[in-house]
Amino acid sequence: PHALPVRPKYRVPPDAAVPEEEPVRYANLMYDRRVVRGNTYALQVVPVVCFFIPLEIQRQREARKRALARKRAKEQMQPRTPEPVEGREHVHVQTELYLEEISDRIIEVDTECQTDAFLDRPSTPLFIPAKTGKDVATQIEEGELFDFDVEVKPILEVLIGKTVEQALLEVMEEEELAQLRAHQRAYAELRNAELAEVQRLEEQDRRYREEKERRKRQHMEMLQKQKETTEKIAARAFAQRYLADLIPSVFNNLRESGFFYDPIERDIETEFLPWLMTEVEETLEKKVLGRTMLDSLIRTVVEKRLDAFSCTPLSDETEALPEEPRPADAVPQSDSERDVTDQPVVTEKEETDQPVSEEQPSHHITFQLEESD
Amino acid sequence: MAHARISASLPPDIDTTKAPIAFGKRALPKLNEELHSPDLLTQQRALMALCDLVHDPENVYQAIEIGFLDSLKTLLLHRDSTVRQKTTEILSIMAMHNVGRQGLIQNGVISALSKLLDDPVDICRKNTHQIFEMMAKLPEGAADIICARLIPVLVFKLKTESDEIQELILSTLSSCLRVEASEALAAGAVTVLKKALTHSSAAIRSKAAWVLLDIGTHPEGKIVVCEEVVPVLVSLLEDTDPEVQASATGALMFAAVKPQGRFSALGAGAIPPLLKLVAEETSRARLSAIKTLTMLAELPEGRKTLLDHTATFEQCLNDPCKAVKRAAEIAISVIKWKP
Repeated sequence: PHALPVRPKYRVPPDAAVPEEEPVRYANLMYDRRVVRGNTYALQVVPVVCFFIPLEIQRQREARKRALARKRAKEQMQPRTPEPVEGREHVHVQTELYLEEISDRIIEVDTECQTDAFLDRPSTPLFIPAKTGKDVATQIEEGELFDFDVEVKPILEVLIGKTVEQALLEVMEEEELAQLRAHQRAYAELRNAELAEVQRLEEQDRRYREEKERRKRQHMEMLQKQKETTEKIAARAFAQRYLADLIPSVFNNLRESGFFYDPIERDIETEFLPWLMTEVEETLEKKVLGRTMLDSLIRTVVEKRLDAFSCTPLSDETEALPEEPRPADAVPQSDSERDVTDQPVVTEKEETDQPVSEEQPSHHITFQLEESD
Repeated sequence: MAHARISASLPPDIDTTKAPIAFGKRALPKLNEELHSPDLLTQQRALMALCDLVHDPENVYQAIEIGFLDSLKTLLLHRDSTVRQKTTEILSIMAMHNVGRQGLIQNGVISALSKLLDDPVDICRKNTHQIFEMMAKLPEGAADIICARLIPVLVFKLKTESDEIQELILSTLSSCLRVEASEALAAGAVTVLKKALTHSSAAIRSKAAWVLLDIGTHPEGKIVVCEEVVPVLVSLLEDTDPEVQASATGALMFAAVKPQGRFSALGAGAIPPLLKLVAEETSRARLSAIKTLTMLAELPEGRKTLLDHTATFEQCLNDPCKAVKRAAEIAISVIKWKP
């Protein structure tokens, strides 16, 4: 950083060729117009120039050119000293009483001076001040200053004492260490013993606990087994009692449902009686067949007779009619007699009910059969 | 520039191997600056001087406040062996004080030290192991060592290192394993320890038994110990060195907590030597022996055998140590217990 030179108050005229050489003047910062004063937070005098808009730049350049042109025009209009007439020249003149040469350079003058050369000179002689006072000599004889043996004692004592003290210190240090070790050892033994005791008791405790657990478990198992056994016994007794009734009731049921049978009875029932029935049916069928045949025979005979008798005179009709029922009655009688003789098997009961018609032989027979059962 | 030395010949009683120590409070800061100098001689001299100063706990505290540990950490990996040796020595002396230990933990020096475990110089390794041993005594230090995954490395080193260093490694392991044992078990520590139990040096035997004791405090460790090591431990009960006897009894004590450990101990005939140990008045192993016998008495066969020997326990009741008295009472009660 450097101090800024002062800005010229007035602008250089535009047609001045080269600015004159002047010694640099420095101005006070406080009175510099270029320093911003006041609040800088809201100061935005110059808008941020955006270099990427050539249009803006162009416009600015044109504005500047126009301003320059305007300035130039204005200056041209300014009144100036008229040009010198031909043959004359304008000259700057000082009008004070005493003329002075105006220049910015300070007049400097160089001067120099020198001392004369050194001349040789002899060296300074040795300065020995004159002797003043009296000469005196002295000497220390043997045994006058001090007695060596007496004096040396305290020094020797100190020396030896210090040495012995140092030695003692070292020995004590070692002894202390040894004692510390022994102490440590004893402590370690005690500690080990205690630790071993603790572990032994732990071990004991563990054993006891395990033993207890085992015993408890055993006891539990025993109880469990006992319970099971009692349950089993109870179940067994109950089952026995329940089942005690079972056999008689089973037998009863079976007997009731007919599983136990007398084989002969069974045999009779299953075989004999059906056979009997079939035989009886057959016999009855034969009987029926016989009766039917007889009926047909009688019918034929009666028809023939009817034919035969109808051919006779009608007076015989009335006789024939009661004769017909009579022979019709006589015929069933003889029929029944014949039936009896034909069927020796049919036993006791004679047809007491003679007027029973022919159309009911089967009823008759079944009634007889039922009576024989 | 003006130097403090005015003549070419040094005064007769000055130690040239040490840097001159500034007065009072300026001593340690000046040494810290000298440690950062590129000149090897200056560094070495500063380290020697520091080594002497660090024996005083106040200086340890001041050194840690100033931030010596960072410079020492960078020096640990120096190519010169003297520098490394002295640095490890300084750190080991610092680790002997609690302030030093805390500072070492906070600055994470353990991980930097783990790179020195393979150092060719013996003394460096010895000092490193010494530092580990002291750090492991603190619970946070032990946790740090476990976090830095140093336990498998240490177990491996047990097989290869010299006796002294083996002792240090065993002490470190014992303190670390008290906290957590699974990593060591995975690295096969028990086999190595079993071999160490038969070592010629009594110190190594006792320390190995102590490590087994610490493994036995964890349940998974107990299982491994019960399986393999109980007979060896029982044979160690009759060892000549009382230290070994004490450690072996302790290890048996923890192994006997588990039932199978008890059976194997009983089978190996542990009761007579244990009784002998209990009978001795001054034995260090008395307490452990009483406890082990208590555990063995919980087995029926053990109880039968020990019922005959209750007189020994009654003798223990007169012991001045309270813990022994209590242990003897517990033992008597366990022996006389009827299911």
